[in-house]
Amino acid sequence: MDSDDGMLDAHDLESGEDDFYSGGTDDYNDSDADEPDYGFVEEDVDDSAMVASHRSQINYVVLKEEDIRRHQQDDIGRVAMVLSISEVEASILLLHYHWSVSKVHDEWFADEERVRRTVGILEGPVIPTPDGRELTCGICFESFRPEEIVSVACGHPFCPTCWTGYISTTINDGPGCLMLKCPDPSCPAAVGQDMFEKLASKEDKEKYYRYFLRSYIEDNRKMKWCPAPGCEHAIDFAAGTGSYDVSCLCSHSFCWNCTEEAHRPVDCDTVAQWILKNSAESENMNWILANSKPCPKCKRPIEKNHGCMHMTCTPPCKYEFCWLCLNAWTDHGERTGGFYACNRYEAAKQEGLYDEAEKRREMAKNSLERYTHYYERWASNQTSRQKAMVDLQIMRSEKLEKLSDIHRTPESQLKFITDALLQIIECRRVLKWTYAYGYYLPDHDKRQFFEYLQGEAESGLERLHKCVEKELSVFEIAEGPSDDFNHFRTKLTGLTSITKTYFENLVKALENGLADVDSQAASSKSTNSKPSKSKGGGGKGKGSSKNGGSSS
Amino acid sequence: MQASRARLFKEYKEVQREKVADPDIQLVCDDTNIFKWTALIKGPSETPYEGGVFQLAFAVPEPYPLQPPQVRFLTKIFHPNVHFKTGEICLDILKNAWSPAWTLQSVCRAIIALMAHPEPDSPLNCDSGNLLRSGDVRGFNSMARMYTRLAAMPKKG
Repeated sequence: MDSDDGMLDAHDLESGEDDFYSGGTDDYNDSDADEPDYGFVEEDVDDSAMVASHRSQINYVVLKEEDIRRHQQDDIGRVAMVLSISEVEASILLLHYHWSVSKVHDEWFADEERVRRTVGILEGPVIPTPDGRELTCGICFESFRPEEIVSVACGHPFCPTCWTGYISTTINDGPGCLMLKCPDPSCPAAVGQDMFEKLASKEDKEKYYRYFLRSYIEDNRKMKWCPAPGCEHAIDFAAGTGSYDVSCLCSHSFCWNCTEEAHRPVDCDTVAQWILKNSAESENMNWILANSKPCPKCKRPIEKNHGCMHMTCTPPCKYEFCWLCLNAWTDHGERTGGFYACNRYEAAKQEGLYDEAEKRREMAKNSLERYTHYYERWASNQTSRQKAMVDLQIMRSEKLEKLSDIHRTPESQLKFITDALLQIIECRRVLKWTYAYGYYLPDHDKRQFFEYLQGEAESGLERLHKCVEKELSVFEIAEGPSDDFNHFRTKLTGLTSITKTYFENLVKALENGLADVDSQAASSKSTNSKPSKSKGGGGKGKGSSKNGGSSS
Repeated sequence: MQASRARLFKEYKEVQREKVADPDIQLVCDDTNIFKWTALIKGPSETPYEGGVFQLAFAVPEPYPLQPPQVRFLTKIFHPNVHFKTGEICLDILKNAWSPAWTLQSVCRAIIALMAHPEPDSPLNCDSGNLLRSGDVRGFNSMARMYTRLAAMPKKG
């Protein structure tokens, strides 16, 4: 928390200065409010050693639906004001540039004409304005009086009924409706929110506004939905900071990078591999592996059922890529062998680029036993963790009060019990993921060291968990206060802190890629073993782990 | 239902009027069903399809014109974007680039344009696409020409 406060102070100071120099134009300040934040955070992160100390620092904000709406509206308002355009036009621009206000500003001020053309914000009609005679709707071909006709900026005439049908069809086709253009085939004019507001049915409008809100999160590079089922909160994440672990208001913790549950210290790739492996329906998994590939851009799985290798992902992604090598289609053509082959893929395959992935699949099939070993431990830690979460809830809702009465102790002084349970929950999570880590750890030297650390941490955790589960129950049915309860307090507090240290060491060691093994090997054999992934660290992890061990 | 019927009727009347104006396209509505149409289009000149007459079948869906008609070649044709067996056509405006402002007539025009300018980018007929992509224009032309003679021209004598 200290570092947090420090940051706030510095921040206040900085924005204070801003006010002073800019002469207090509030609006201008508003639009730049994000900037100092980023600058500050990035400064800290340059040094990888600093990352660890800033772990506890909050680098994200949880947004509720009304917050999302407000942020979205703020961004629209800001762009509309700065560019002197309507809010409808501002929304179209922001949708096109993935809700990046700065990108909209940059592009617009670099070349307004070009932006207007590509996005479809026309300055005036492209066809002659009606002279009062009847007009023909471009869809139903019926004649209408000019005042009955509806058009967007381009002026192409359509009747309200056809507009409603057109808009309704596109809304029901999915979020692509946010980028709707005039029905005239070659007309680039964008159809803005005002048209949907005016012409869509109530149901369709609801869908449209849902897509519109979702787009603010889903198309935005610094926003993501909380993946917990039923949770409607989103996370606004400041890029460039150390840890990806975030915690939603719904209490779900997850990794911002891969949206799986929080898995520090194990990296996202390992977790993804592990989870894919765990999907119990192995038939399903085999099918997915054999028949689908994730879109290289948006990662949705794609099944190819016919046609050539030129793939186009469904809107809004629309990424064009080669099915074989998964690279952008723009790099393909005659040179790469046309549409049913890919030289790049063949060449890479010859060089063995795809071998590793293939081999790994093969190995996974054969090493079922080894896998079962790790999986059982992974799963049992998961179960223990869930059990501990239930225990914590019961503790908070009923048991604490009872214990407080029996032992004549204020509930605030029983915090050591909930602290222990919270520690258990966190440790079970870490321990669980170390089994996924262990499964993929190839190096023999490292494996020994890793298993040693893991074993130490695990036995510490088991001691702590047993202490809470078994020994506490005696005091729950005790007649009245006793000295034993004070001993218990000391013991549990001690175990909690020891376990915490063990796990901190474990996490630290895994996060620097078990670099200690490298440095040891280097010093004993005076030959360089494999280069470690992380630059910092040195002997820190192991040294402190020994300390932790001796204090128990 | 009513909207699509009204619109198709407008197109029907327009076709009657335009028949002379565009001699390359002959659109005919089914006698009993306004949602079934056929068209005869002339192969564009200076292409291997020149001199041939190709028959298209239109199946118009109920939400037309909000959804595109389904069109396929009834006459066999050797073309990268037409399925050799089913006659299915790979044309963006018949799929995701459809606009309700298109008409059956303009779809025919687009198909004629496609015949003159094949898109080997998304081939439905691999053999035909391969010939063009490998630069064998002569080979492609002679194959396309042969099938035009076989399938799209009146048999002599």
